[in-house]
Amino acid sequence: MNLLSNLDAVEAVTTVAEAAGESGGLSVEGPLVVAEFTIFGFDFVITESITVQWVVLIGLGLLFFVLGRNLKTNPDSKRQALAEMVVGMFCGLVNDTMGKKYSKYTPYMAALFFWSLGLSLSCLLGFRPPTSDFSVVFAWGMITFILIHRNRFKTGGLGGGLKSFTEPIFIMTPMNLLSELITPVSQSLRHFGNILAGLVIGGIVYWALEIFIKVPILIPVPFSLYFDIFSAVIQAFVFMTLTMVYVAMADCGPEEAE
Amino acid sequence: MDGRAFVLGMEVVGAGLALIAGIGPGIGQGFCGGKAVEAIGRQPEAGGVITRTMLIGDAVAESTGIYALVFALIVMFTNPFASKL
Repeated sequence: MNLLSNLDAVEAVTTVAEAAGESGGLSVEGPLVVAEFTIFGFDFVITESITVQWVVLIGLGLLFFVLGRNLKTNPDSKRQALAEMVVGMFCGLVNDTMGKKYSKYTPYMAALFFWSLGLSLSCLLGFRPPTSDFSVVFAWGMITFILIHRNRFKTGGLGGGLKSFTEPIFIMTPMNLLSELITPVSQSLRHFGNILAGLVIGGIVYWALEIFIKVPILIPVPFSLYFDIFSAVIQAFVFMTLTMVYVAMADCGPEEAE
Repeated sequence: MDGRAFVLGMEVVGAGLALIAGIGPGIGQGFCGGKAVEAIGRQPEAGGVITRTMLIGDAVAESTGIYALVFALIVMFTNPFASKL
């Protein structure tokens, strides 16, 4: 299938470690392979992307454990006020974007946001951000894909769900199918491309400064602020919001009064 | 000049040409931002919603630019054509 082979090519970007390296030039390295093993004939490769995800998972887990511990009805700590503010913000966001009946999606959307943000920001600790590995982000795209179609067939039933592919007229069916298939690819490519672009531009800036000035201080700061921090927040937010919009748009149940 | 060097050079030229696609998203995002400023000027109390919608629009407009970037990176760093020689 053409789509899949294109994806392989994209993945190759992240796994290849070759550029004009012989002449001491710029090189973009893929994630390091930490371990390789075979179970029941399947090859498993543990890359840097996976180990960094473990680190971020533990970090975020501890953070939210501390935030959510020992809650009181009459809050008297700043910690609980912060936790309530974050939860309230995400509840409001999901209610505004998807509607009241989808409020059960709030935990997933908040998790997606903080997970993406945590992984992208892990580059500030010197890790290679796992979100610059297409496999990681494409997995989230596939989750979105499954959520979209689960919602479609749940709200419309089998008949209504299939019929929604023929909207607005029957001739549009191939176009609709194509756009459904391309949704997870385009959504995850956007996230991956932004973070990888930040990584590559950061690499170019450091490489150029090392050649021309020898002391790369202060000058990379605005680049890092924009490409690492701003871009990470925006992409996490955009990925979450697009997931919400796509899932809510797939609703083909009866229209309800607002 | 041997064939491999020519193809390698042409790949880099191709990667550079691919980034011409950056013009489109640039114009689109500028338009998006400008309209958002107009909208906030007209209705400052809806600023939050407008900014949020603008960011989504920006991100979607950016797609084509990102595709071009991914293509350019593939061509530059995996050398798909030179490796066939």
